[in-house]
Amino acid sequence: MKEVPAWLVDEGSTAEMRRMLSSDSPVDIETLAARARAITLRRFGRTISLYAPLYLSNHCPSGCAYCGFASDRTTLRRRLEEDEIRREIAAMKKLGIRDILLLTGERTAVAGFDYLRRAVEIAAEEMPRVSVETFPMSVEEYRELARCGCTGVTIYQETYDRGRYEELHRWGPKKDFLHRLETPERALEGGIKTVGIGALLGLSEPVEEALRLYRHARHLAKTWWRAGISASFPRMRPEQGGWQPPFNVSDHQLARMILAFRIGLPDMDLALSTRERASFRDGMAGLGVTRMSIASKTTVGGYDEGETGERGQFDISDERSAGEFCQALRNRGIEPVFKNWDGAYNGPATQIIPTGGLKETIP
Amino acid sequence: MDALHIGSHTFNSRLILGTGKFSSTDVMLRAVRASKAELVTVALRRFNREQLEDDLFGPLSQLEGITLMPNTSGASTAAEAVKAAHISRELSGSPFIKVEIHPNPQHLMPDPIETFEAAKILASEGFLVMPYISADPVLAKRLEEVGCASVMPLGAAIGSGRGLSTAGMLEIIIRESAIPVIVDAGLRAPSEAARAMEMGCSAVLVNSAIAAAENPEEMAAAFRDGTSAGRRAYRAGLMTESGDAVPTSPLTSFLGERR
Ligand code: SF4
Repeated sequence: MKEVPAWLVDEGSTAEMRRMLSSDSPVDIETLAARARAITLRRFGRTISLYAPLYLSNHCPSGCAYCGFASDRTTLRRRLEEDEIRREIAAMKKLGIRDILLLTGERTAVAGFDYLRRAVEIAAEEMPRVSVETFPMSVEEYRELARCGCTGVTIYQETYDRGRYEELHRWGPKKDFLHRLETPERALEGGIKTVGIGALLGLSEPVEEALRLYRHARHLAKTWWRAGISASFPRMRPEQGGWQPPFNVSDHQLARMILAFRIGLPDMDLALSTRERASFRDGMAGLGVTRMSIASKTTVGGYDEGETGERGQFDISDERSAGEFCQALRNRGIEPVFKNWDGAYNGPATQIIPTGGLKETIP
Repeated sequence: MDALHIGSHTFNSRLILGTGKFSSTDVMLRAVRASKAELVTVALRRFNREQLEDDLFGPLSQLEGITLMPNTSGASTAAEAVKAAHISRELSGSPFIKVEIHPNPQHLMPDPIETFEAAKILASEGFLVMPYISADPVLAKRLEEVGCASVMPLGAAIGSGRGLSTAGMLEIIIRESAIPVIVDAGLRAPSEAARAMEMGCSAVLVNSAIAAAENPEEMAAAFRDGTSAGRRAYRAGLMTESGDAVPTSPLTSFLGERR
């Protein structure tokens, strides 16, 4: 079996991080919060960038134990057609959203690369910033997506514990741990400008998981230094399969993670989604988090057509409307930022391939 | 073992010595020995095969356990530096080259554009290129990309003794760099070497502070100790600063009681 890369197991200079992360740490959380807040304020000011997800399709051939879209779930399968995508995007635009994340399951004949590329094209007509959270692709495919206006790729490793990864990904294309691990770098090589990574918290021992995520983020930021790297901290949420995660990550633990990442990676965007409840999100705003999703629907469609009665990929927790959420931010002296990117910058990035030398500018 | 790796070379010492500016070759050699440095830089312009009493290269190359790193000081363009590097390699056999290009002989600030050009050429020719640069985080990454073996940002202007006046930029360079970061120029006191090492830089290069001390040999030993103390502190992990103002209403009360 191919070895995991050295950076994933490198213990060098992670001692401080480990100290900050562990819940019986001598460093108390209030001290971490004060440091993290000062860094966030200095580097990002009093702003939070907002984005919203749009589920294009929930067809999926994979059997991830923790997911409501796994192929053994009874969810009604559907995908949005072009006119539906346009309607959803129009509805999202009305909410003020200008930064959109398109989601699908693993690659299927119904929702494969060509379908996704078309969706990106449609979204890019209306939205300056379009990212995808879908199946892993080849460098060529990412380059093509970038040409169509895709600027960001989000890809969670789910768990960096290889043994647990094998166990939880019961079948399907997602089973290949290393292929998924290398996906961010294929995207960046294809000229995608921003990459978001994360681990699904609850799947394996949280401190070790956070350390491996930290090493991954650091590795990407050092190697692909022109790219925007961001990290997310999704906690397991209930889904219709009723699967129970082996680890319960408390609010304290999650807060520690975010604060420690802010201190260890002072320039990195850190994201927090509507998986978390309103009071937690409000509390963390300004303490390290710089990106948040709003008004999320985890069902396919839902912005234009309203409630479908279906359960989504997982249950969300912060159910406030875009307006309510923004007001809550403003009440705390934080400005919600809807547009922080311009279509003028879209297209594949001029990338220089790391490790030894300039590679030709991608045409 | 906490060794410094540059290319395929391994060094136990993280103090690198410059060899100009000493009152005599003998004083210089005693300082080098006292410093326990294993990597020492010497200017091509101080190689003198005609007049041996004026030659630094010969005596240095006799020292055991020392690797020589010729430097291109005196070059004011990339072309001159490349030529100097070729001659240096021919004469010394060392794969190391410290690229130093300063067009202004007054302040000796490195020229970023010429340095980048020279580094690119020399790295492609197989040199272990160690460029001397301003504390510029983007330039540091660009140099890493063209295959440099390390970057050597300045702590302050050469010979200024202003210490780590570029600390803020050095922190970024250290954080971002995937190759060794060696703080070069500006250091005056061993405590500054210790501070640079505590920040996480890989090594420090010192010349004037030792050569211009009242007792260079003793100062070299002091820098040896300062450098290794700073490195040990970095490895041991400095405790978290607690100088942060703790606000009257706690920031994390929304989390509720723990457990
Ligand atoms: S996590 Fe993704 S790949 Fe796995 S079952 Fe769900 S949608 Fe499919």
